[in-house]
Amino acid sequence: MVKKSILKEVLAAALSRGGDFAEIYIEDRLNKSIALISGAIEKSLSGRDYGVGIRIFSGLKSIYVYTNDSSKNNLVSLAKEAALGLETGLSGEVKELSRVDRINRHKIETYPASVLAKDKIALMKRAYDKSKDYDQLIKQVKVNYLDYDKKILIANSEGLLTEDRQVRTRLSVTSIARNNNEMQTGSDNIGGHMGFELYNEKRIDAIAIESARIAKTMLLADKCPSGKMDVVIDNGFGGVIFHEACGHGLEATSVAKGNSVYAGKIDEKIASPLVTAIDDGTIENAWGSSNIDDEGFETQKNVLIEKGILKKYMVDRLNGRRMEMKPTGSSRRQNYRYAPTSRMTNTYIDNGDSTKDEIISNTASGLFARKMGGGSVNPLTGEFNFNVMEAYIIKNGRIDKPVRGASLIGKGSEVLRNIDMVGNNLALGQGNCGSSSGSLPVNVGQPTIRVKDITVGGIKDEQ
Amino acid sequence: MNSNQLDSIIEKLLNASESHGFDGAEVMVTSQKDFEASVFQGDIDEYSISESSGLSFRGIKDDSIGYAYTEKISDVSSELLLKEAMDNLKAIDSKDQEFIFDNKESLEYKEINQFNALYKEVTNEEKINLLKKMEKEAYAYDHRVSTVKHCIFGDGNQLLKIKNTYGIDLEERSNGFFIYFNVGVTLGDEIQSGYSIFFGNDYSAVDYKAVVHEAVDKAVNLLGAQPIKSDNYSVIIENKTFASLLKAYASIFSAEAVQKGLSLLDGKIDETIGNENLSIVDHPHLENKMASRSFDSEGVPTQVKKIVEKGQLKRFLHNLKTANKAHITSTGNAIRYSYKSSVGIAPSNFYIEAGSFDVEEMVASVDRGLYIVSLEGMHAGINPVSGDFSLAAKGFLIEQGEKVKPVNQITVSGNFLKVLQSIEMIGKDLKFGLPSGASIYGSPSIKVKALTISGN
Repeated sequence: MVKKSILKEVLAAALSRGGDFAEIYIEDRLNKSIALISGAIEKSLSGRDYGVGIRIFSGLKSIYVYTNDSSKNNLVSLAKEAALGLETGLSGEVKELSRVDRINRHKIETYPASVLAKDKIALMKRAYDKSKDYDQLIKQVKVNYLDYDKKILIANSEGLLTEDRQVRTRLSVTSIARNNNEMQTGSDNIGGHMGFELYNEKRIDAIAIESARIAKTMLLADKCPSGKMDVVIDNGFGGVIFHEACGHGLEATSVAKGNSVYAGKIDEKIASPLVTAIDDGTIENAWGSSNIDDEGFETQKNVLIEKGILKKYMVDRLNGRRMEMKPTGSSRRQNYRYAPTSRMTNTYIDNGDSTKDEIISNTASGLFARKMGGGSVNPLTGEFNFNVMEAYIIKNGRIDKPVRGASLIGKGSEVLRNIDMVGNNLALGQGNCGSSSGSLPVNVGQPTIRVKDITVGGIKDEQ
Repeated sequence: MNSNQLDSIIEKLLNASESHGFDGAEVMVTSQKDFEASVFQGDIDEYSISESSGLSFRGIKDDSIGYAYTEKISDVSSELLLKEAMDNLKAIDSKDQEFIFDNKESLEYKEINQFNALYKEVTNEEKINLLKKMEKEAYAYDHRVSTVKHCIFGDGNQLLKIKNTYGIDLEERSNGFFIYFNVGVTLGDEIQSGYSIFFGNDYSAVDYKAVVHEAVDKAVNLLGAQPIKSDNYSVIIENKTFASLLKAYASIFSAEAVQKGLSLLDGKIDETIGNENLSIVDHPHLENKMASRSFDSEGVPTQVKKIVEKGQLKRFLHNLKTANKAHITSTGNAIRYSYKSSVGIAPSNFYIEAGSFDVEEMVASVDRGLYIVSLEGMHAGINPVSGDFSLAAKGFLIEQGEKVKPVNQITVSGNFLKVLQSIEMIGKDLKFGLPSGASIYGSPSIKVKALTISGN
């Protein structure tokens, strides 16, 4: 993308007033998105993102600059301007850049750019028809498609020069069921670090029907009651509870400055012994995977919690300095407009021994959260909240009637300790996670689990 | 790239549009310079500067619009960009008629100044010193402050240009800054957090101690918070918190949502949807408000209007496309969040008008209830289609007209339209929340008859 000699010159300019580490990140990305509503294609957008970010460290201080103009003169002058943020010091050293080629774990068969728009649209229309035909109550369907092809280059003053190409695509369906007074939505999606081979008719039909089924079920459901309950959370996207309730608190971004309830607790018991939790950026073609992180380190499989004991945080280069810990291949950013920091990739609770049936039949009464919606957390206090897209009452060890409007609140540290059954049906679901370095593709996942005593916020009026 | 080079690139693209088969075309360019710094333990922690720009081309043909953008402006190929826009246009099969603005009626633009020239004089060093003082102040102000999690100063300076083949040629320059301060306070094993934000473009208006104290007070006041018993409670929702609820439901006022059957206000124009004292205004001409603007993202002049008047729904927010469909004129609420996005709809300064009560009077009127200062989970816990919400809340229990103890780990649930209908008192204390996209939402404190609380 940019000549080696220029990279070296820019890095040298960045370290011209002191600073002990400099890095350059170049991104060139082609985006495509298509939106369908009411059966017709309403939006088709595309464009090219292009920019360069330069980062300088001096001890624990970090400076970040970015621009869209990658001419040599502009980059050198921007690097010098960035260096002005430092007190004057001796020039830092830039080692000879030597290219490192990482193994490509995520083979792409059909690049989305090679697929005609009409073929992408045909898939979307199929999804629309499948959802609409599911039931007369389905009054509106939205289908969104996106793909991007992102090339990045990372070079730093320690001599690293590496590149990666990340191709991702995702298709989501939102179905809206409506009767006289009420409307409810259901949604589902698939996405991967993959090309167009991700899609086939069977997969498209499955998510279209799933979204319609949820919308209809929730439309006809009673209002969820409130109170403390035992909650069984189903596999797949249910893993969002670990992502929010605990995952964010294990990112060095929070831990390094002591802003997490899990700071300083390595080798301590923080969860039920049934819980082993993993963040794995290496899973082949998974939505949250990549060959390298956004600092150029290879991604890793990091065991965060093993049988309830905290083993590891997700660490980036800068926070690693503060924590005196090695980076874990977890540094990510939405694009060149953000300095990278430690973030999750594909994060999940690992399989346990129980079957889903055992978990349900052992629950005398409670709530079954079949499909989770979104949520958020305050990492400092660990307080989280989630919306449940599809829920059922559990009565006498059986799944009873569906209920709508449920939300779950609690503290992450308490939930981790209160997990008392873990299933053996691990599955992953795709999401987007928004945090300090932007919005990122992540997988969340878990087998079916049971959590004792969660506060369920229902919408049923108390009488 | 200087301004002349940019103008000639815009001209080149517009001129080429006809030969690429477009009936009309528009180019939008934004370029901005941003600065952000944070302080941690007395020293600069992060420091960032940037210069960025992006260009979007939109071309119209047979009532459909094709879009394409690039961030590589200086060597943009008009050939490739216009071809991409045409490809995107050809993919559209929605029958909705689209428009590129032609100001045939010569509507006038209200002059709005969003650029404060004095702000340029504030050096980055001054901003960083301010942050250092703020961090110190937090620890000095209350010994229970255990961490200053975020102490951030950011600012931006933006230039927006919209030019089309129908003679629209607009430019807007704006600047602004924000301070974000977030603390944790600890008592024994308990941690509470609180934050405050200051934004605007008048640096002389900053009272840094007030910003710090607000965040610390918020956290300290919640120490000892406990859940309360599940039940229906009379509820007062504090001004900024009600503003965030209004924000979460703003889409129901958008004609786009209405026309797609995604708004619970569909078919309710001229109907009573709220308490008779409830008025909601969209006011793009307020002075010193960051969402004020003279033209919208389609280049249409903005206008001040009541959306809800004395409880009656008066109108929806429109852009050119939805207005045409509804056989009216645009309300000037077209929005493009960036050159990457297509035209949607959003309010400007959107607020509930102040009422006549002091907050003290409102609290005194409650026998047993809850004073809510925070609602969380808005992005997932609300249903803009049914109006139902179920959200994590924090606040204070009110007994016999007095706030008696802090409350957390509860959820509050209800239905937004029912909330508007069951408003009992509207405060005098109109306040605006944070800018969100191109909008700012405001509200006074509001007392509602009853909401369902789930606690223990």
